[in-house]
Amino acid sequence: MDEVIFLEVLEGDIVHARHRLERFPASVGRAYTNDVILDDPKVSAEHLRIERREDGALVLRDVGSHNGTYRVEPWAPLAELELAPDTRVAVGDTVLRFRARNHPVEDTVIGQAPTAPRARVFERPRTFSLALLALLCASLLEEYLSNYGRTDWGELMVALVAPLGLILLWAGGWSVASRIARRQFHYRAHATIATLVLLCGLVLPVLLTLVGFSLGVGSGLPLLHHAAFLGLMGWGLYWHLRYVTRWDPRRLVRVLTVVTLVFGVLSRADDLLGNESFSEALDFPRTLLPPAFRVAGARPVEDFFEDTSSLQEQVDALAREE
Amino acid sequence: MFAFLLAAVLAQAPVAPGEPGTPPDAGVPEASPEVPISALPPATHELFRRIEGRVAQVRIIERRSGTRSSIGSAFFVSAAGHAVTNYHVVSDVVIHPEDYTAELVLRGGGEPVPVRLVDVDVVHDLAVIQMATPVADFFALEDREPPQGARLFAMGNPRDLGTTIVEGTYNGLIQDALYERLHFSGAINPGMSGGPTLTGEGRVVGVNVATMGNQVGFLVPVRFARDLLARALQAKEPDAQALLDTVRAQLMDNQQRLTERLLEAPLPRHTLGSYRVPGRWSPFLKCWGDTPHDPEVPYTVTNYQCSSEEDIYVSSNHRTGVVAFLHQYATSQKLGALRFSALYSALFSQDPDAVEATRQDVTNYRCKSEFVDVDGLPVRAALCLRAYRKFPGLYDVVLRAATLNAGTSGVDTSLTLAGFTAENGRRIARRYLEALSWTK
Repeated sequence: MDEVIFLEVLEGDIVHARHRLERFPASVGRAYTNDVILDDPKVSAEHLRIERREDGALVLRDVGSHNGTYRVEPWAPLAELELAPDTRVAVGDTVLRFRARNHPVEDTVIGQAPTAPRARVFERPRTFSLALLALLCASLLEEYLSNYGRTDWGELMVALVAPLGLILLWAGGWSVASRIARRQFHYRAHATIATLVLLCGLVLPVLLTLVGFSLGVGSGLPLLHHAAFLGLMGWGLYWHLRYVTRWDPRRLVRVLTVVTLVFGVLSRADDLLGNESFSEALDFPRTLLPPAFRVAGARPVEDFFEDTSSLQEQVDALAREE
Repeated sequence: MFAFLLAAVLAQAPVAPGEPGTPPDAGVPEASPEVPISALPPATHELFRRIEGRVAQVRIIERRSGTRSSIGSAFFVSAAGHAVTNYHVVSDVVIHPEDYTAELVLRGGGEPVPVRLVDVDVVHDLAVIQMATPVADFFALEDREPPQGARLFAMGNPRDLGTTIVEGTYNGLIQDALYERLHFSGAINPGMSGGPTLTGEGRVVGVNVATMGNQVGFLVPVRFARDLLARALQAKEPDAQALLDTVRAQLMDNQQRLTERLLEAPLPRHTLGSYRVPGRWSPFLKCWGDTPHDPEVPYTVTNYQCSSEEDIYVSSNHRTGVVAFLHQYATSQKLGALRFSALYSALFSQDPDAVEATRQDVTNYRCKSEFVDVDGLPVRAALCLRAYRKFPGLYDVVLRAATLNAGTSGVDTSLTLAGFTAENGRRIARRYLEALSWTK
């Protein structure tokens, strides 16, 4: 091998520490007298030594370690081993790899045109507090308006605490994922995304219901709700995953689109397949809002009862099905 | 709603006939009391002995289990073996002829005799069955009304305990009934369905049909049985589809009669707060109202509901021939417009109880919903329809509507029509909706 070699301490496939060895013999062990010190309790104080033979080859020699030295591939105990490039050797719980200076490296990954780093809106400290404030207000307002009984302070309290707790847990889960994959928690960014998703989840249905009532939209409304929910889910997943994976954004978008669509189709599979279970429920929009919210005009009674033939055809078709 | 007398399968052995060998002739009573007979009310035991042979038990046999699934009573009305019973006793044979058959167990024991179903009157809950062998002893049906308070005797086989005679009094037609029924004050019980109720002389007055418990029983007037028998005597051998067609035609006629009855009558208006709503449209509708008073809640909801409180039995879990409506007037001084609309939406989301039916009987509902202008009063209205599977052309119709003219008050109303043609349902619903108005 080369005059200079590298001893790499591996952790799985990843290099944990790299030592440049120029002078031989070089000793490896747990004691501070060694050239390379390994903090592995199963490694002996004086464990092994790497020497240059007269013919120039590098030789690894066990110097009477307690737990022995092993060649990894194929697995065998060794007392002496001539080092070849990429040789791997196990001592205690540690795996060592030896590489020469001329070891080839992979081609450089071509990156996008570099731009100045730009703080995303989620990372700004103020975004989180504003979004959280908006969410709490919306939750409180929703609870107050939808309760037509006596004011229930306990329920109002729950309306405040429940979203807070939910966001802490939600962001916590994603942060752990970020930490595992990218060594950084990104807690605030995840919490902001969670808050925004929850806020939209609260406001969007109300908005859709409002618009649905104003315009007198009938049958399409549940579908619109479903689409809005899917959109929100996709958006939330996208931004959470941006802080977890290093995937190219375009690839992420493609994958998430497929995932969201498949989820949407599966959750509506019964409707799409036309499997309708027997029900005595009447399926029509039940929202009633104050008169000022109504934009759509009212039709005369005569017209309303005139075109019921399509209704009749629909149920006749159902009756014919079996 | 009263209970029909059809007994479900009873987990007990059939009771042996009491006195085998009793001559079923209609002759002079054999007992010789010391007092003159004319001075006494007719003795029940003599009456019973005279006619017990004319009453039999009907058993509905489920083919796969090979045993009875329900029981009822019947009585002979012709020498050719015709017997009258209730439609609801034999409804399984009409609706599922491939799964059920009927047989008669005659007084005096012996093997059950298979019978065929000749004709039905679904509206008045009657059926005529016929056994292949002729009978010597039967009732002649004549229509003569006894005076109110007359003593009557109901016969039948309650809960499979054996042929029984029960004393009670005649109380005339039920007042304001949608479907004509006689009121019999005496105990009639499940299993007596289809049995006769007689005067002391042994003349049939009506057919046992239902009970409300506590000695309140109902009979079908005998004249409907007589009309049905007259038709049945001329009937040819009907097949299963022909019977279903008969039921359909009768339901069609009945809904037409009901529709005409409703549309001919002016629709009275009832005042609820500042609204005028449809009131008691016809005498057969029974109306009730209430406002729950709870000082804790910041609103009041006043109910006003009318219903025929009667229906037609099509099968054990399918009823039809119903007209019912409900108004809920909600108002609040304390709630703002938005919180009131939450209350109002919650009211509008609750539908009245659907008329009983299963997947085999009806389709799911389909609805259309719009804002409708009722003579200046804006309402959110929905019209829903479901079709009958076995009786094409008949539908259950539900109209739901809620007024939208005020911020903190409104009337939510629902109309349920069961067993109407779509056209008639539409006409009634339209008349109903047009009766909504606002008086301020």
